[in-house]
Amino acid sequence: MRIPDSMWGLWCVWLRYFMVFIKSLPYYLATTFLEPIFYLLSFGLGVGSLVGGITTQGVHLSYRSFIFSGIIAQTVLFQGFYEGAFGAFVRMYYQKIFQAISITPVTLSEVLWGELLWDASKATVAAEVVALIGVVTGDFPAHSLLSLVPLCFLSSVLFSAMGLTAAGYARNIDELSYPQYLLVFPMFLFCGVFYPIESLPAILQKIAWFFPLTSVNALVRSLTLGLPLQVQAIPLLFIWLVLLVYVARRSMFRRLVK
Amino acid sequence: MPTLDPAPLRVVQLTKRYRPRHGAEGILAVDHIAFDVAPGECFGLLGPNGAGKSTTIQCISGFYPASSGEVFVGGRNVYTHPKQARQVLGVCSQDETLDSDFNVYDQLVRHASYFRIPAAKARHRAQDLLVRFGLWEKAMEPVDNLSGGMKRRLQVARALISDPKVLVLDEPTTGLDPDVRRMLWEVLGEVRSQGTAILLCTHYMEEAERLCDRVAILFEGKILDVDSPEKLIAKHISRESVEEEVRPGVVWKRRPNLEDVYLKLTGSRLGVEGL
Repeated sequence: MRIPDSMWGLWCVWLRYFMVFIKSLPYYLATTFLEPIFYLLSFGLGVGSLVGGITTQGVHLSYRSFIFSGIIAQTVLFQGFYEGAFGAFVRMYYQKIFQAISITPVTLSEVLWGELLWDASKATVAAEVVALIGVVTGDFPAHSLLSLVPLCFLSSVLFSAMGLTAAGYARNIDELSYPQYLLVFPMFLFCGVFYPIESLPAILQKIAWFFPLTSVNALVRSLTLGLPLQVQAIPLLFIWLVLLVYVARRSMFRRLVK
Repeated sequence: MPTLDPAPLRVVQLTKRYRPRHGAEGILAVDHIAFDVAPGECFGLLGPNGAGKSTTIQCISGFYPASSGEVFVGGRNVYTHPKQARQVLGVCSQDETLDSDFNVYDQLVRHASYFRIPAAKARHRAQDLLVRFGLWEKAMEPVDNLSGGMKRRLQVARALISDPKVLVLDEPTTGLDPDVRRMLWEVLGEVRSQGTAILLCTHYMEEAERLCDRVAILFEGKILDVDSPEKLIAKHISRESVEEEVRPGVVWKRRPNLEDVYLKLTGSRLGVEGL
């Protein structure tokens, strides 16, 4: 059976990224997998031993477990955003890889899907590595490794699309620092990675729910720690996902296709 | 019905107006240009910077949508069937677009995959091209280790990886040393002898005069005239010879060439007398 041409195009683009990844494995191991592990050790063991236990949504758990699951969401955010923003900007602006591939039978549309799917694949693997550590330390049940895959993948597409949108609009690579400092870092700090957002004042909680990382955190904690499902997280995540993928592709099309 | 159309490349009343920006009207970059390129023909698009050459190429590959008009590559409409049209199209753009994450050889093999060329065939073809372009010794080098001239050659080689029916080259010899330029000309000669249609965009008059069976003079998005270089010269330059003061007190008397035609048609007569 012959794979349809558009699937083939997507696969070629994904494979291109994968081969670069394999060629530069030490680099990616250091940048992709080590960073979340540092967070894990610093906050899980360091801060975790100070805080001990916390209660959130009526469930008492160790701070270490809480922070471990937060780091899964943080990994998805950072890995997805950085690859979609800085990685894609370099490929589009300096290497002109998007342009080179898009004049072959592989179309720009397929190149952009391939970009998002690759970014998300890599971020998902990184998040799963964090989850695996949590399983080994006994913080998460083993089956959460499986249930996390679709959640991490879709969230990674979301944050990669956020990065790709930034890359599509940035006039130069320095401008990518705006969303990095004004969007990614605030989400990292206020969307429930380090503490339950119930600890925030009511108004900040509402604002926090507006940002997608809060939904990702809520769902990750449901799957890994068995916290009650916060149903609003699901539609919120999907709205952000669809919106950002649309905007990301549109921004790239408008930038490249004149 | 592609079989009814023998021309590998047909450009039909192609017009490209860029999107309006900030309320200002979009620039009309290409204005109703039309030409066919036959199998084995080398067709030159000659024009100054900003004449619309690169825009034309972006429209021919279907990367930019045309405002109006059509482009057929191998009989396929590039806008309605981009995949099928580009399957037989090789493009070497003016910008360097080599994939610097791969070495010279892998670069070509990877590019072949976008055309769905089987790996064994791609490897064979990559080796063949690298030998022909004098790059085989550099096969395992990272792209960034190549000189500017070598990168240019590699990019032309990459455009040939799919054995295209139509080869589009945008300023392929810019920055090349004379010997390398001649080598590239030779390879292009072989390529066209195998029936590939070549569209060559250049502002090197000598190159156009030497390589192109027909030349279109493009100026401000319009084709001013199309013909063989010899006929263009005969048609537009009535004199047997032209005189040009190349340095103070040094006057060259020479046969008119394509450059004289170009300067005459584009309205510029800088320094050349007797046209």
